[in-house]
Amino acid sequence: MSELEIPEITIPVGPQHPALHEPENFTFKVDGEYVVDVEARIGYNHRGIEKAAESRSYIQNLYLFERVCGICSHAHTTAFTLNIEELLDTPKPPRAQYISMIVAELERIHSHTLWAGVAGHEIGFHSFFMYLWRDREVVMDLLEAVSGNRVHYAVNTIGGVRRDITPEVEKKLRKGMDILEERLKTYRTLALEEPTLIKRCEGVGVLKPEDARRLCAVGPTLRASGIKHDVRANDPYLAYDEIDWEVVSYDLCDVLSRILVRIDEALQSVYIIRQALDKLPDGPYKVRVPRNVPEGESVMRVEAQRGELIHYVRSNGTDRPDRYKIRSPTLGNIPAVCHILKGGYIADIPIVLASIDPCFSCTDRMAFVDVNTGKKWVWTGEQLRRYARKWRG
Amino acid sequence: MAGLVGSAYTVAVYGLALIVVVGILSLFFEWFDRKAFARLQNRYGPLHTGPSGLLQPLADFIKLLSKEDITPEAADKLLFALSPVVICTIPLLTLFFIPVFSKEAIVFFEGDLIFALFLATLLYLFVFIAAWSSTNPFSIVGGVRAALQLMSYEIPLALALIVPAMFAKSLSITTIAKWFETSFQPYALVPLALAFFIAVVCAQAELERVPFDIPEAESEIVAGWQTEFSGRKLALLRLASDIELVLMAALIATLFFGGAAGPWLPPFAWFLIKTTIVVFVFANIRALFARFRIDQLLRGAWGILLPLSMLNVFVAYVLMQMM
Repeated sequence: MSELEIPEITIPVGPQHPALHEPENFTFKVDGEYVVDVEARIGYNHRGIEKAAESRSYIQNLYLFERVCGICSHAHTTAFTLNIEELLDTPKPPRAQYISMIVAELERIHSHTLWAGVAGHEIGFHSFFMYLWRDREVVMDLLEAVSGNRVHYAVNTIGGVRRDITPEVEKKLRKGMDILEERLKTYRTLALEEPTLIKRCEGVGVLKPEDARRLCAVGPTLRASGIKHDVRANDPYLAYDEIDWEVVSYDLCDVLSRILVRIDEALQSVYIIRQALDKLPDGPYKVRVPRNVPEGESVMRVEAQRGELIHYVRSNGTDRPDRYKIRSPTLGNIPAVCHILKGGYIADIPIVLASIDPCFSCTDRMAFVDVNTGKKWVWTGEQLRRYARKWRG
Repeated sequence: MAGLVGSAYTVAVYGLALIVVVGILSLFFEWFDRKAFARLQNRYGPLHTGPSGLLQPLADFIKLLSKEDITPEAADKLLFALSPVVICTIPLLTLFFIPVFSKEAIVFFEGDLIFALFLATLLYLFVFIAAWSSTNPFSIVGGVRAALQLMSYEIPLALALIVPAMFAKSLSITTIAKWFETSFQPYALVPLALAFFIAVVCAQAELERVPFDIPEAESEIVAGWQTEFSGRKLALLRLASDIELVLMAALIATLFFGGAAGPWLPPFAWFLIKTTIVVFVFANIRALFARFRIDQLLRGAWGILLPLSMLNVFVAYVLMQMM
């Protein structure tokens, strides 16, 4: 008896696809409804930020790094300013550390609720999406009250923060935190009790703890695999060591676990903000710093919403960095997501891909590689221009 | 037994009126569904075109008509052009068997319920053909899903719709609707309620709505089997899904609530009230759930819905014998 042969179909997900909010390509080999193999191709959104940083002064770079990512904008500037402050040997004043931390946690709430809404959309749960995004407006308004902006807060600056938290804003923040705490608890109950949501997320995209470690997963993806690793706790920066909070982790290792980790983390952020407001020290929120940064190197780890963010700087004594390097969290999670996509259903591709909360524009890198020989090389700007001219004809 | 109302002339006049009314009704129901869905999600929904956005579906339709109509190079041109027309026509045709203006349908004969179900199946055959002819990987996956989905819900749906037919001792939709007015017995309520529940669930699958919008799951396979359709063809497909919404709401309202039958008000008013309520139920379901996976749907349909509907038919039979 011969079995009916189904031809192998390859499904391109991206660079343009409704499940992806940024251009990136994943090519899936599918057998019926099953995913057999995945090939990720990054680089559609490369913007040359690191190179651009070398030709800008540190102050200008502040604005550049704010724009590495729209969602973790504060995390990037935190890493950047802490790096430069380390080189200058002038830490942020205590009040500035608290304010920066408050904004970071507000940003985390905004990012996690945004993500959970998107997760609802990926599994066709539109009401979850709509309600979460409605409540996200609370935190967006608070961010606007604190910083003046909804997305690019521009709060951090070298030597402190740019705006103080006034008593009126503090009152608004406390009120907002009460609303958010109640709403987040509702969503946690919903995620634990809604049968269709559980059916779509439980046991889907399982990343075992040993795989998570082996593939170097970071952030909520790692913590959802039962590993309690959070830079805020393991290598505290700003004022996180003065605050009493918990590292959230769930050991279901699946998408549901990632949803729960993010909702609980947002709740922890609410507690952190409340405590930070209680402990907010008096004093200046900004100190003056010189423009030229002494020669040296510095590496900073920050827990962005999507995971561990690493910034490296090498300075040469001028007002511009000699070399700047960013390792964004999504890059760390790509091997893990390719691993968990294999063997799943086509229907689960969007939610599994989304479960690492990918941010491709921060991730994209460019390297010259000859696919046939495996040779890698580096070009200068002039060589690149010559190459471009040659191809433009 | 088989009968048409009056002459061929009256059928033509009523038929034309029905097509116009269904056209208006389908756009109205799309608006109602969108509005109810939006309100359930604490949004406004359509707001600007016409009073409370009432004309939004019409505006969308006209906009799509004026858009560029692209046929893929690799597509089967004839089938690709033909299938939207057929997909739009079939539910419209099926509505001829449902009483809308009076207590009798425009066309009715003993067995028109079976014929209506047959047409609903035929519709999905054309959905599959539409997917296959557009030769797009997303379309093909969507088409295969649509076919699998059809296989899962079709039998429970048929078994659920058979229950009122058993009580009315007729396979004609018109006769079943009349039975509700003339000789409805309260003991029929339990099997009818269960059959109604099963029919509503299956209707969501037929209409490709959450939680069963699997064949056109937006975030997974773009627009599923509709991916390659654009312009006029897409407008027709959108209209087809609206007409299908009218059809399923009308079918359920007729077979479980007597449709156009009812005291005091004219039949058309009853028809409108009952179908609108059913559409509201549909909108609620759409707002409540996440999308199932195709394997979950198949398992649920064959493992739960099918045994449940068979049991229900059996209970209905026993009740009829006892009473």
